[in-house]
Amino acid sequence: MALLERAQWYDIARSTEWTPRYVTQDELFPPELSGGEGLPDEVWSTYDEPYKVSYREYVDIQRQKDAGAYSVKAALERADLYNKADPGWISILKEHYAAVAVVEYGASFQESRFVRWSKAPGMRNMATFGMLDEIRHGQIQLYFPHEYVSKDRQFEWSHAAMFTDNWVTLGARHFFDDVMMTRDAVSTSIFANFAFETGFTNLQFIGLSGDAAKAGDFTFSKLIQSIQSDEARHAQLGTPLLQMMIENGQREKAQKMIDISFWRSYRLFTVLSGIPMDYYVPLDVREASFKEFMEEWIVTQFMRSLEDLGLSKPWYWDIFLRDISEHHHGQQLGTYSWRPTLWWNPAAGVSPPERDWLEEKYPGWNDTFGKVWDVLIDNFANDRIDRTVPGTLPVICNVSQLPIVGTPSQTLRDISLVHEGRRYHFASEVDKWIFEDDPERYRHHKNLIDRFLGGDIQPADLGGVLEYMGLGVVGPGGDDAHGLAWVETYRKQLAKAG
Amino acid sequence: MALIPLASHFDGDFVIKLLPVDSENTMDEVAAAAATNVIGVHVFDQPGRTLRVRKQGADAPYGRSSTVAESGLEPTECIEIYFE
Repeated sequence: MALLERAQWYDIARSTEWTPRYVTQDELFPPELSGGEGLPDEVWSTYDEPYKVSYREYVDIQRQKDAGAYSVKAALERADLYNKADPGWISILKEHYAAVAVVEYGASFQESRFVRWSKAPGMRNMATFGMLDEIRHGQIQLYFPHEYVSKDRQFEWSHAAMFTDNWVTLGARHFFDDVMMTRDAVSTSIFANFAFETGFTNLQFIGLSGDAAKAGDFTFSKLIQSIQSDEARHAQLGTPLLQMMIENGQREKAQKMIDISFWRSYRLFTVLSGIPMDYYVPLDVREASFKEFMEEWIVTQFMRSLEDLGLSKPWYWDIFLRDISEHHHGQQLGTYSWRPTLWWNPAAGVSPPERDWLEEKYPGWNDTFGKVWDVLIDNFANDRIDRTVPGTLPVICNVSQLPIVGTPSQTLRDISLVHEGRRYHFASEVDKWIFEDDPERYRHHKNLIDRFLGGDIQPADLGGVLEYMGLGVVGPGGDDAHGLAWVETYRKQLAKAG
Repeated sequence: MALIPLASHFDGDFVIKLLPVDSENTMDEVAAAAATNVIGVHVFDQPGRTLRVRKQGADAPYGRSSTVAESGLEPTECIEIYFE
């Protein structure tokens, strides 16, 4: 039977809508789940998705994508990447899979909520494909690391991490619960599809894809390219909603949603992308620094999408531009110093040539963060390993859930406020602003330090903390990725100096 | 006597650290306790110089023999420790 071209039937099919007779519109689309308060009923049918696809086309394309990724994996399985790749690269895989795979499955629930609760028929249709995308991303990113579990138990975290109370998990879960799982359909789409996916999945998936290929990990490169091609499509779900809000006098509300989600995404990705890009990727295959990736994918490209919509840069733009040169360096020092709390083995990334690279990319690094590394290196070179892990915990931000870090003697500062008798700490003025904008949303959550001080973690010592976070339970905690081989150069320098 | 957790900002460090102290500790004792998590861990020692404690953002340090209880510091408030 001859098939009609998609363009001949699509507009009629996707606009299919009905008028409820037995329930009210608000019962069919409860405002707390559907969102879009204040938008007139007639605008929903005008939602015009920028990317149109039929189910037949979708299935065909996705089958080809899966075939491509799985066949590359099958072909390269015997190449023994695990034993041949730089250990820093293997750490990137461990960090990535555990932080991303199960979250992708959560994203399928996000999209399925759009399928049911969105008042725009075009969005419900497109979100159906988004939901299938995310199921695929969850499955494929659990399947690929499974190959490594028998070689290295830290890969168990790929599946288990999101079900633990590891501090990195708490940060990721707090973020994704906030932007992806607990808001109405309209807000979620702007928070998660527009602000998070448009900018930051590009950073992680395209940025790391180039590094992966150069590092010889064509399986991972192909995998994340395949995923990103889906992300680039369903990330567009939020754009028509923004247009509808702006055209109906809700520009300020839309801007605030972007301002909150953009900062929260950025801070999480200082750990997920920033640290690996500047410290774990082997120096000879690094494509660009985190700051350069941020400038290309976020400062230039994401800002262009905002300008196209007539929206502004977030109010904290100057803070953000300074932050991309410093925050992730503090998080690298923190994750490395408290490495037993990680599910991966962090690479230090501070051998003499790597320090030269850091100084070139971030002028002043040696005189600030480098000075802290000097102390760590002095301890390593003199075999004082016990002095390289602090005997206390860092203070953690009640919004980002990340340690409060800053440039030594320059920008490090605890920002706090007392709300209804409880003191909250923040890693930046922006995190504090996010809290103050909606304290009811955030005030009940307890970060790792709140739990420690509140007696939730027993025994109240490092051993108790590690067990609480799943270290030694799910899989072993972290240690230097290269077995401290990089310290030899410094040890020789020390011996030469007498 | 009561255990009071403070937030410790040690000059030269990159991170705010949790510092459990006793309400009867003097500020010299507080500085010494903070130093155990920082000096020789993330910041080099500066022999011959004295460590002082002030509330984060304050101009003047606390008296060296004044106590945590006298300072009025509340749980998890942030203090700065620096070489004088």
